[in-house]
Amino acid sequence: MEKKTRRNFMKTLGASVGAAGVLSSGSLLSACNRVEEVSGDKITLLTSSGELVVVDRSQLKPAELPSLTENQLRGRKGLPGRSWVMVIDLSKCRNARECMKACQSHHQLRPEQHHINVLQMQDSEDTAPYFMPKPCLHCDNPPCTKVCPVNATFKREDGIVLIDNERCIGCRFCIAACPYSARVFNWKEPRDAEKYEGVTYNIEANVPQKKGTISKCLFSADCLRDGKLPSCVSACPNGVYWFGDKNEDAVTNGTTKETVSFTQLVKEGAAYTLMKELGTRPRVYYLPPKGQEASPIEGDHI
Amino acid sequence: MNRLKNIIGTAVLMMLALPVLGQDWIVPDEQAALANPSEYTLDNVKLGKAIYTKNCKSCHGDPGKNNPLALVPVPVDMASEKMQTNSEGSLFYKITNGKGVMPPFESSISENDRWLLVSFIQNYSPGREQVLLDLPPIKAKLLASVNEAQGLVDIMAEYEDANEVYVPLLNAPVIISSKKAFGNLKIGETVTNDQGRAIYTIPENTMGDEHGYLSVVVSLSEEYEAAEVILDKALVGTAKEVPELIRKGVLWSTNNNVSLWVLISYILSTGGAWMVIIYVIVQIVKIKKYSRSS
Amino acid sequence: MQKTESPEESRRKLDKIVSDLTRSILLKDELTRFWFFILIMFAGVGLWGWILQIKNGLGVTGMGDYISWGLYIANFVFFVAISLVGLLISSVLQLLKISWAKPVSRAAEQIAIAAVALAGIIIVMDMGRPDRLLNIFLHGRYASPIVWDLTVVSTYLAISLLLFYIPLIPDLALLHERMGPELPTWKRKLYKVLALGWKGNDLQFKTVYHALRVLMILIIPVGLSIHTVTSWLFAATLRPGWDSTIFGPYFVVGAFVAGTGALIILMYVYRLRYGLKEYYTDMHFDRMGKLLVLVCLVYLYFNINEFFVPVYKMKLAEGVHLKTLFSGGYAFMFWFAQIVGLVLPILLIQLKFFRRPLPLSLISVVILLSAWFKRYLIVIPTMEHPFLPVQNVPESFHHYKPTSTEMLIMLFSFFAALLIISILAKLFPVITIWEVAEEQGIDKEYLTEKSNTQ
Repeated sequence: MEKKTRRNFMKTLGASVGAAGVLSSGSLLSACNRVEEVSGDKITLLTSSGELVVVDRSQLKPAELPSLTENQLRGRKGLPGRSWVMVIDLSKCRNARECMKACQSHHQLRPEQHHINVLQMQDSEDTAPYFMPKPCLHCDNPPCTKVCPVNATFKREDGIVLIDNERCIGCRFCIAACPYSARVFNWKEPRDAEKYEGVTYNIEANVPQKKGTISKCLFSADCLRDGKLPSCVSACPNGVYWFGDKNEDAVTNGTTKETVSFTQLVKEGAAYTLMKELGTRPRVYYLPPKGQEASPIEGDHI
Repeated sequence: MNRLKNIIGTAVLMMLALPVLGQDWIVPDEQAALANPSEYTLDNVKLGKAIYTKNCKSCHGDPGKNNPLALVPVPVDMASEKMQTNSEGSLFYKITNGKGVMPPFESSISENDRWLLVSFIQNYSPGREQVLLDLPPIKAKLLASVNEAQGLVDIMAEYEDANEVYVPLLNAPVIISSKKAFGNLKIGETVTNDQGRAIYTIPENTMGDEHGYLSVVVSLSEEYEAAEVILDKALVGTAKEVPELIRKGVLWSTNNNVSLWVLISYILSTGGAWMVIIYVIVQIVKIKKYSRSS
Repeated sequence: MQKTESPEESRRKLDKIVSDLTRSILLKDELTRFWFFILIMFAGVGLWGWILQIKNGLGVTGMGDYISWGLYIANFVFFVAISLVGLLISSVLQLLKISWAKPVSRAAEQIAIAAVALAGIIIVMDMGRPDRLLNIFLHGRYASPIVWDLTVVSTYLAISLLLFYIPLIPDLALLHERMGPELPTWKRKLYKVLALGWKGNDLQFKTVYHALRVLMILIIPVGLSIHTVTSWLFAATLRPGWDSTIFGPYFVVGAFVAGTGALIILMYVYRLRYGLKEYYTDMHFDRMGKLLVLVCLVYLYFNINEFFVPVYKMKLAEGVHLKTLFSGGYAFMFWFAQIVGLVLPILLIQLKFFRRPLPLSLISVVILLSAWFKRYLIVIPTMEHPFLPVQNVPESFHHYKPTSTEMLIMLFSFFAALLIISILAKLFPVITIWEVAEEQGIDKEYLTEKSNTQ
């Protein structure tokens, strides 16, 4: 397990720690740690536990990366026996937007690109407005993968709808097909393109982002491979997100780390899925926004 | 000019905003004067702690450990002076109404529970006797085995006494859970007997994997520092069918799973059209040939 | 068909036909040069826009994450629509043995070839990664409408080229035999190669008729598919405004309207420029006018269906979409396309006056313009109103406004299409000579005979 974790880190950063002992803790070396800043010889990493660690660049050397093809093949298969689901408890959301920040940082997105977007909703004039985080719903009848001409977006056995940015031709048919506006496009050079130049592409995080191709939420598939929760889930301060494996009927709260039965949670919480009438069969469940006190956001929403 | 205006505007705004940003959180006097109706007892503090762990800990961290979440403004530690200068009524008011990043808990925590939270915060008040002590956890050992045939977990617990000798741990709660992807799902609880032993029967409907295997985790409560025992792949759960997601003939899948009717229609129509086109090209070749024949 | 006259009479007639119909090839005046200069220059400038786009990414367009299809796709649909006239004129009308449509069919094929070729090019221009075009062949998914669309576009292009070429073979032989030094040698050589040593014997004519008949039948399902599949690019999604079951036939009929309009304009230009009054007669325009009314009426019927039913139900998302069309930002375009581009022409063309060449051509210009509006309205307003609110993105993502680069590329597509038509007109007669001769009762033997006498 430990070994696997290290390998993942190498893939994400395209570098591995050369001298032993500089980073003694194995947990630092995970795919979910992210590069915060590169200045001169120092690289600042943000670990998943929220600590900033400065590493000397000289201690990082190019790693023996598994080939891109291997990464792509592995990414297409998914994690055996899993069936990932997310439950979003709308009654807990306070529009803290930590999920959006963590997501944009993890997936190297520009400020206007959202893999997860906290929308302000109001179902009718008489009902209260509420905040609704909206990731990709990873539908079990995905309209997006249906229309892809080159199989660049596909569904894995573990339920995740993924994108291969090395294959995508940029026709944007999947954007048109998605009723949830979950997909974004790299219209311009991606954020920090020069910083990540030459870094091996990781299909399970869509990083580095590729110009002229599609990107979207992928449940942080790289984190899941490491046995960690998706970036947004663990970043939420309000306990909004539950994430887990439907096959083992358990979901874990990203904030409290409490683990509960998935069926019980969705049954007792009167969960629903978004626009179920479209027949897309989403993997993301919502618990109703009861008691959420969303006040209208004023000014610019960005 | 415009830019200067902007800068001045921003500065003014910041000055206006600063007091609001956590410096002064003004509580109406009559609210601040309210007294805690729940009694300051160990039981109540314990109840308060449970509520705190569930609703507040994720941001405020553990009391006295200064480990809050990195938010702006930084959530205040319960044991800090700043927190403890609040009156009972002020604490209650702030929990109820929230401000900025701090959410209001008026609707999600009952009034009684909010007062219990106040009791828990008061546990760290310099002016009061600390009833719930954050003692260092007691070192303990756990042993467990599983009887697959009967679905039983046999547990033995010991702890380190004052003489640093391990002796059986009596009447201690033991938590049985099953290991899941990101945490342990509690199955049940039992208590050790007067020999430090316990036997727990796994409920019949406990869900295992597709073959019924279950990773049983046995652990002690927080007061004890003991490595949890993981009984890997024990055949004590009910088998759960794992449905296959990607099947033949689904439209959204790859060419390997393409619906037969799509493939046949595509090949027949495209192939048919091009066969005819080739036939016409053959006719053109024939035209050339016929020019010699006459 | 008149009875054959004396050989002299026939030869004289044939000479006149040939001299009339080769005018487009021989014309070498300033205007021709200027026209080609303009076409090549603007197409070139437009192409430069594409180079800019390849360099800087699709970010140079006005599209965003919500309105992710824009002018290019609208133009793509427009060109596919125009190309369908080839099916209508050179197949359906011929199979129905409507003889007046014969001289028109080559012009229709010219339009079909140019439009469908450009449709294919525009699709590539709309891609974020045109360098990965080959992926469609390497990893093509049978279940994707885009793969079907590319398949059917290339098939239609192949059939259109054949439908253009096969009736041309006897003409090429005739031109090669008759034309002397007034043609550059490369052109004569080209004619010779393409004529396949045509001798004009019965066997050869029989084969030509047979091959044409096969193609005319084949082009019907393929032509209907090309526009039906194009409509599925939209109808296969769940979006309001696109999620419609009549989109296939709706697009096909709309295509007939646009294509017929385009053909009338081209006929008028040819008639004027190459002095073809005796070949594109007033009768031809009269008939084309009647055909236009017919397809417009069917299109009107489909429009009523397409809008009345959702208006009656007023589903939430559908309602938002319809409001922008009826009274929102797109109201002018919408009502222009419906009233000026559809209802008014239907009424006007009832009058004989408006079926005369010039008025009919002017009406066709309006019809073509509103046909383009219609394609724009099909693509963009729907994308502006997804099911979920558009939030936390820059203001520019809320609305679509084409940028100068998009305009350049659009310029390219229109001028490149005109360039293809102009080149075809410059290379080959715009009306099939041997068919006209046959129509005028000239025996087939005279077509090839000239070579012996001269």
